[in-house]
Amino acid sequence: MKLDNKSSGDVKIVLLAGRLDAQSSEGLKGDIEGLIGDGCRKIVANFDRVEYISSSGLRVLLASLKQLRKIDGDLKLACLKPYVRETFEIAGFTQLFEIYDREDEAIAEFGKLG
Amino acid sequence: MIASTLLLALIDKICVIVVVAYLITRTSRFSEVLDGKLTPKNQTALVLIFGAFSVFGTVSGVEIFGVIANVRDLGPMIGGLVGGPLVGLGAGLIGGGYRYLLGGFTGLPCSIATILAGVFGGVVYILNRRKFVGVGGAVIFSVFVETFHMLLVLLISDPYSEAVMVVQETGIPMIASNSIGMLIFAFMISNLIKERKTALERDRYFRELEKKKLELNIAREIQQSFLPETVPSLKGFDLAAVNHPAEEVGGDFYDFIPISEDEMGLVIADVSGKSVPAALFMVLSRAMIRASAAGNSTASEVAKNANDLITADAKSGMFVTLFYAILDLEARTLRYVNAGHNPPLVLNGETGDLTLLKARGIAMGVVEKAEMEEREIELDEGDVVVFYTDGVTEAVDERFNQFGIERLVEITRKNSHLPAADLVEKITDEVLAFSKGAPQFDDITLMVLKGEKPG
Repeated sequence: MKLDNKSSGDVKIVLLAGRLDAQSSEGLKGDIEGLIGDGCRKIVANFDRVEYISSSGLRVLLASLKQLRKIDGDLKLACLKPYVRETFEIAGFTQLFEIYDREDEAIAEFGKLG
Repeated sequence: MIASTLLLALIDKICVIVVVAYLITRTSRFSEVLDGKLTPKNQTALVLIFGAFSVFGTVSGVEIFGVIANVRDLGPMIGGLVGGPLVGLGAGLIGGGYRYLLGGFTGLPCSIATILAGVFGGVVYILNRRKFVGVGGAVIFSVFVETFHMLLVLLISDPYSEAVMVVQETGIPMIASNSIGMLIFAFMISNLIKERKTALERDRYFRELEKKKLELNIAREIQQSFLPETVPSLKGFDLAAVNHPAEEVGGDFYDFIPISEDEMGLVIADVSGKSVPAALFMVLSRAMIRASAAGNSTASEVAKNANDLITADAKSGMFVTLFYAILDLEARTLRYVNAGHNPPLVLNGETGDLTLLKARGIAMGVVEKAEMEEREIELDEGDVVVFYTDGVTEAVDERFNQFGIERLVEITRKNSHLPAADLVEKITDEVLAFSKGAPQFDDITLMVLKGEKPG
């Protein structure tokens, strides 16, 4: 369900779309692992066009977050629709992920860290 | 006239070759060799088959322009091309040996050419990484071999002048008939290879499908064997639960854990992921929560303890959302923690007010030392608590519309007078009817607790 990848400095932005269910999450997992494998440490996932996320989707994001934080990287989320945000809230994941209303805010936050 | 005789003779020969080629390529030995099984037995069989075919080529030679054109080299060539140098050499020795015994002034070069035809075929096989060279390659190869055959006749045969005449007369027909014969054989062989490849792929696909099915069955069996077989009867309460596993098992579970005479632990949980990994993580989570709950009347302590145990074992982002409540039968209260689970809904029997059992917490297996807030509600007669997993609210119809919490609330309201077991059944039926025609992506798990007359 990845639409596109773009870069802003050393921050990679993954643009997602549609339904993040068991099947599409596998693809996302591969994409993020690929980015990390290429040396990327700062990733922003843009959820602007994501309508649904299942627990499998949460699992892939959690695994990526854990992997990135272990190597001093981070995965920040941006532009969550209310329904998707609620799924994060129910699971308690809003305590875990940094979530921003806008993509540029998430990117700027990486900039502050240097 | 001459042209039509030649044509008829060729057609006659081609018919025989088609039949022979069909019979040979359909033998099981031949198929095994195509799969790369060059056992001594298979090689011997091919030597005999193509040797005999070579002898047949000599015997069936057609007289054209007064000389005999034959397809003696064909057998050893094919033998070599599909079975390697040994098969080519063996078949060549039989066919060439037979030709040598017949004698004649071209006997020696012709028999040597037949033997070498087999050996060359084997060399091509090896150079082509032990695979059949294909239709085009095989035909070009046979043109080269027959040209080489003619050169040998010219070099070795004595007297030279007669050899020149023979080559002039038979050269073109020999090259043509062997190449056409090769074309027929090669065509059948490559068809056979394609067929077998398709069959192999199909078999592999079916095997994988079987394996997946088996895994799903194992996952389902693990899951089902760890769900409670019966629902405890509780003084002053009516309790029922159901689990409707998806095709691809989602790892949902519920559990009843006796804590003391008056306290019963209630668990509903949803493991992230699918199939066997989810089922195993379900077993782990269930054991951890059980171990933590025994004799402990504080829901938050149980949850914190279980979370630490689960987190220590959680790899690759596995986690479980879990709602744990301690039902106090005497005090008629429910003390609960919500570890990232869909908040159960409570319908007040008197006012019809709806409450969602939310509490600050996080899914288990995510972080150690997680804070789990404990809350408490009172349950009176007529109150209905519906515990559920996201398989209920996230069930979709064909257009991906979700069942949603609103529908769940509505059905509960309308049917709140039903006994717990009937309400569980009613909700399950409604969810399944809603998602009819669409695949069930996730387990549907439900638990209903109703307050009855204190007794």
